[in-house]
Amino acid sequence: MKLTMRLLFLLIFGLTTTGVFASGEQPEPTEQDSGAHGEEATYDPVTTIMGHISDANEFHLWGHVSIPLPIILYAPDQGFTFGLSSMFHHGETAVDGYVLNHGRVNRVVDRSFPTGHVDLGEHAVHMSSHEVDGKERDLGLLSYNGQEYELEQPSTLDGGLVGGGITSFYDFSITKNVFTMLLAAFLLVLVWGSVRRSYEKNEGKAPSGLQSLLEPLFVFIRDEVTRPMIGEKHYERFQPFIMSLFFFILFCNLFGLIPIFPGSANVTGNIAVTLCLAFLVFLVTNLNGNRHYWGHIFAMPGVPKWVLIILTPVELLGLIIKPFSLMIRLFANIAAGHIIILSLIGLIFLFGNNGESVAGAGMGAVVGTAFTAFMNLIELLVAFLQAFIFSILAASYIGAAVEDHEHHGHEHHDEEEAHGYAAAVKHQH
Amino acid sequence: MYSILLADFNVLKPDPGLLFWTLVVFAFVYFFVGRAAFKPIQKALKKRDTEIQESIDEAKRVQAQMAQMKDDNARLLAEAREQSTRIIAEAEAYAKKRREEAVEEAKEAARKVSADAQRDIANLRDSAMADLKKEVGAMALDIAEKVVRKELKSDASQTALVKELVNNLN
Repeated sequence: MKLTMRLLFLLIFGLTTTGVFASGEQPEPTEQDSGAHGEEATYDPVTTIMGHISDANEFHLWGHVSIPLPIILYAPDQGFTFGLSSMFHHGETAVDGYVLNHGRVNRVVDRSFPTGHVDLGEHAVHMSSHEVDGKERDLGLLSYNGQEYELEQPSTLDGGLVGGGITSFYDFSITKNVFTMLLAAFLLVLVWGSVRRSYEKNEGKAPSGLQSLLEPLFVFIRDEVTRPMIGEKHYERFQPFIMSLFFFILFCNLFGLIPIFPGSANVTGNIAVTLCLAFLVFLVTNLNGNRHYWGHIFAMPGVPKWVLIILTPVELLGLIIKPFSLMIRLFANIAAGHIIILSLIGLIFLFGNNGESVAGAGMGAVVGTAFTAFMNLIELLVAFLQAFIFSILAASYIGAAVEDHEHHGHEHHDEEEAHGYAAAVKHQH
Repeated sequence: MYSILLADFNVLKPDPGLLFWTLVVFAFVYFFVGRAAFKPIQKALKKRDTEIQESIDEAKRVQAQMAQMKDDNARLLAEAREQSTRIIAEAEAYAKKRREEAVEEAKEAARKVSADAQRDIANLRDSAMADLKKEVGAMALDIAEKVVRKELKSDASQTALVKELVNNLN
């Protein structure tokens, strides 16, 4: 009993020390330094977490140490600007009117700002809250030669719905997310290329090595996703697309779970990535839709004419809603996972009262570490689950579009169209 | 401070750069993994599946064939055994018959030989008897001639002579 207690204490103490040590490496406390204005150095969990799940133009490690990434900027009035993110010196140097604000490239709105490399000095870039249309908004500001210059963020395509919009420049850089996607893509090519070669080498033999590790996964997706969802007749045509979706999402999700370089990027928790994938699913589904598919959308058979006035707009909306739900589901799940883990890590700084209370920080470390470990395991499940759900739903949408409708099974198919996924799953069993 | 949450929620703002790169990277994945790896793997798996199915079918077919052949063999063996038994029985019967025939022939021959011999013996005896009778007749005539001749000298001598002749005769 006594021994057990002692071991328990040792374990907790050990966790505490490692937690505190780990917390020393966390970038959170230094995050505010670059834009710090005295009292702003306090830990702000929302800003920190949002900063961490956002895309960035550099791989921030700790303090002023980061791995530089290539910069490709385009401004209609200035043309292209190339370089490495290290040229901005973490916000202390402006290049052709561009500066680094919390890891992201911003542009000085005032065109009279000097071009070329301009030394700004420490803490030149900072944030300030402004009242815009009755809402408080953060605004990037640049202090240079005693003057305050307004900064603007790269263009986004939300049309101002969530605070973004088209600005004077576009950021086509290899950002943290792009870097991780490229890494995932190369890893996929490497892994599956080697597996493919094994199939050539081991033809007519039992699988071996990596091949036998990945074959069950491949067969699982084939037998549980593509074959039942798309149907025996068409599944082979769409299988490369569905499997590419699954493994691309899976690898990106898994990279996001690695807390240090080259992981940690919130790739599939960024709406641009899921928007792009969902749009591709939308294209593939509707470009392959057959006569029956369109017939069911514009004139559902077996329905009175006057009902079609309501039903057809609903079906047309469904065309958009289906991929939209794909986009939101993946984005929300992965972003939420990152936010929860970052919040739990943030407990260390909240409990520690910004470094005033070491005991509090220790307590936070114990709680945070335990919960983070637990959440990480759940996120591991979610990484597989969301990749699976995205691909199975994409497959079911494509399946509904290419399905051959025979007359004897008409009612059943109508029901399937109406209930979408649920009926499709039921149909599978 | 928390009211700015949505404004700061950068991940909800689709960045055209990220969109562009996602498209590029996914196209890369689709062509260099999807089409270059998943397609051949699917083909290889399908080929292996059919091969395995074919092997199982083939094995089942061969097994059935083997069973059939085994049955055939057993049947042939039984037939052969039956035939051999029949042949042996036939041979035995034939041999027995032949033996009996031979014995019968031998007996017949022996009977014939002995009959011939007896007939010869009888013939010889008959001829011998005839010869003997002839000889005895001749001797009797001879004796009678000598008796007749001696009678003429004395009675005594005649008697002695007869006795002597009779003794000779015996």
